[in-house]
Amino acid sequence: MKILSLIAGLLVGAALIYGSLDMPKWGDPHSPASTHVSPYYLRHSIDDTATPNVVTSILADYRGYDTLGETTVVFTAGMAAILLLRKGRKR
Amino acid sequence: MFEFIVSYYNYWMYIGLMMIGFYAMMAKRNLIKKIIGMNIFQSAIIFFYISTSVKKGATVPILEHAHGHAAHAIDVMQYANPLPHVLMLTAIVVMVATLGVALAVVIMIYRRYNTLEEDEIIMLLRRG
Amino acid sequence: MMAQIPMLIVVIPLLFAFLTPLVGLWRKGLCYYWSVLALSLCALASIDTLFAVIHGGTIHYHLGGWAPPFGIEYVVDHLSAMMLVIVSAISLTVVIYSKRSVEKELPGKVVYFYTVFLLQVIGFMGIVITGDLFNLYVFLEIASLAGYALVAVGEDGAPVACFRYIVMGTIGACFYLLGVGYIYISTGSLNMADVYQILPQMYHSKVVLTAVAFLLAGLAVKMALFPVHVWLPDAYTKAPSAASALIAPLMTKISLYVMIRVLFTVFKPVLSIEILPVTDIMVWAGFVAILGGAIMALAQTDLKRMLCYIVVAEVGYIVGGAGLANATAMKGAILHILNDAVMTVGLFTVAGIVMYKTGRHDLSDCKDLFKKMPFTMAAFVVGALSIIGVPPTCGFFSKWYLIHGAVIAKHWAFLAALLFSSLISVVLFFRVIEIGYDFQASHGGYTHSAEHTAIIDEAPLSMLVPTIVIAIAIILIGLYNQTIVSNIIDFAVPRL
Repeated sequence: MKILSLIAGLLVGAALIYGSLDMPKWGDPHSPASTHVSPYYLRHSIDDTATPNVVTSILADYRGYDTLGETTVVFTAGMAAILLLRKGRKR
Repeated sequence: MFEFIVSYYNYWMYIGLMMIGFYAMMAKRNLIKKIIGMNIFQSAIIFFYISTSVKKGATVPILEHAHGHAAHAIDVMQYANPLPHVLMLTAIVVMVATLGVALAVVIMIYRRYNTLEEDEIIMLLRRG
Repeated sequence: MMAQIPMLIVVIPLLFAFLTPLVGLWRKGLCYYWSVLALSLCALASIDTLFAVIHGGTIHYHLGGWAPPFGIEYVVDHLSAMMLVIVSAISLTVVIYSKRSVEKELPGKVVYFYTVFLLQVIGFMGIVITGDLFNLYVFLEIASLAGYALVAVGEDGAPVACFRYIVMGTIGACFYLLGVGYIYISTGSLNMADVYQILPQMYHSKVVLTAVAFLLAGLAVKMALFPVHVWLPDAYTKAPSAASALIAPLMTKISLYVMIRVLFTVFKPVLSIEILPVTDIMVWAGFVAILGGAIMALAQTDLKRMLCYIVVAEVGYIVGGAGLANATAMKGAILHILNDAVMTVGLFTVAGIVMYKTGRHDLSDCKDLFKKMPFTMAAFVVGALSIIGVPPTCGFFSKWYLIHGAVIAKHWAFLAALLFSSLISVVLFFRVIEIGYDFQASHGGYTHSAEHTAIIDEAPLSMLVPTIVIAIAIILIGLYNQTIVSNIIDFAVPRL
């Protein structure tokens, strides 16, 4: 099992490294990730949301639904823990 | 050659960390070690995303607050990309929640079988 | 208000789920009715959305008013609307069915069971309705966490099965997240429609190819594609009856829906058909899954475990059908998503009734059930005929489309697997029917010891009525399949 896992890990790692060869260089300011959607957030954050902290304005305003989902995840984990660990009545 | 390594080494480092976690999840026999491996795997993915938000010479994405005519043009190149940070805030919370549920299940297993080694549990399961 | 209905589909159960523990503190018995109310409203909203999509075309709902790709959007097209109705109708049926079974199997945990049940349904709805890749990951994790909890409170041995499910499920979700990360790095956007526009010039870059590989690998673990299906039989067998009746039909089908979305709406079909041999691999994976699932089902002596392996085989049908890459096979695959969800929930509800009455779900416990529970066993026979593929049950029509698609694509191996699995299903189900009619009483075979002779009469109404409604639905969907195909599925099939 250990050798199989080692081989699986090396194969997956090799696939990931192969995929990383065409990626933009580290710290490249002209990469697609830095020039497509995020300049809008940086330029319009104060006009749209009056928040200088752009991470907050994305988290709470532009992508606030993801934050609702995140809250639900925490609630689910809490309810799951209660469901699992509560000692039920003897059947 | 050196230039090639310097531009990509961040991705390779985090891929290596991911594979350490992946190996631990699959190969280790103690349940807690598997959970630690899961944690390492997910943390490495978070680092991977964050490393894509770096821009050379940029600072944190907090703008200088100015309204109306005092507002000046924002040079996008000066600020780091905020979007991966936001996504990873959510991913960190998801990681912690999964950790919580996994540990609750491990507590249930320990209460029932009194051991945390996978092979002993399988033997106890087979005996019924 | 009417324009907000797509949002209400997720928000109503969410509100009800947050309030369920408070309701439970007040009156424990009220939680069941609270959950039924939540899921009924949700089902009404989904049916309304389906009709709105049929009459008006795709609905785009921008959350928070922000235009995509800067904000998150909901995209409800024909495929999503159909999936919404499937999820909400099946969850409503199972929650009505679940009252007696949850009270018997999980005393003292009823309140939290219904909370996590509602959260599971919210997770499924959120996955189906969203048009944003990262949002899908968040709701996938909600559904997964709720699923882990629902599985782990089952019978003896459930926590161990659940732990393996957690490890494999987390690997699947993390591979999906890695795939989304690679797409983000190469395009800068997370919106599905936006990525569809930007990516085509990059289809030969290594990043995009790796992204496809990891997205599909992650989804393959989540949909229990042979050979990474190993978490499914243990987890769904040992889960409580109501939980397995909810999760078994839906989780795998929703992962299949995400796969169809990724392959045909996020990436152009030309990527999967010509540039990378994805569709060829899918057909062979489907072939192996059908054969593997069918043969392993033959070897089981436990009723629920046998049904789990049938679920694995059914996933193979849909993956292979999607991989054949012609319109008829895609129609068959999408129709099979609907049919298989309904058939599986029918069979698992019957297994839950057997568990409620006898305390076990072994094949030998089905002895004499035809005499003692005629209606339940009639529902079982309808489900069995549908899996075998006998008209006028719905299973026949989707199999017919799949066979037709295999002939058009000249893929004889897949055609052989389809026919072979029908034959094996005949053997599997007639074995159960034989035990139920007690043909073998005097010959040994599956006779079980006297201690297990429980007093069996017909199932309680709250469990029986949903089971019979599902059996009637199987026949009705079969009879009206032409209406469903022409109004919904013809528009849902991606242009290949």
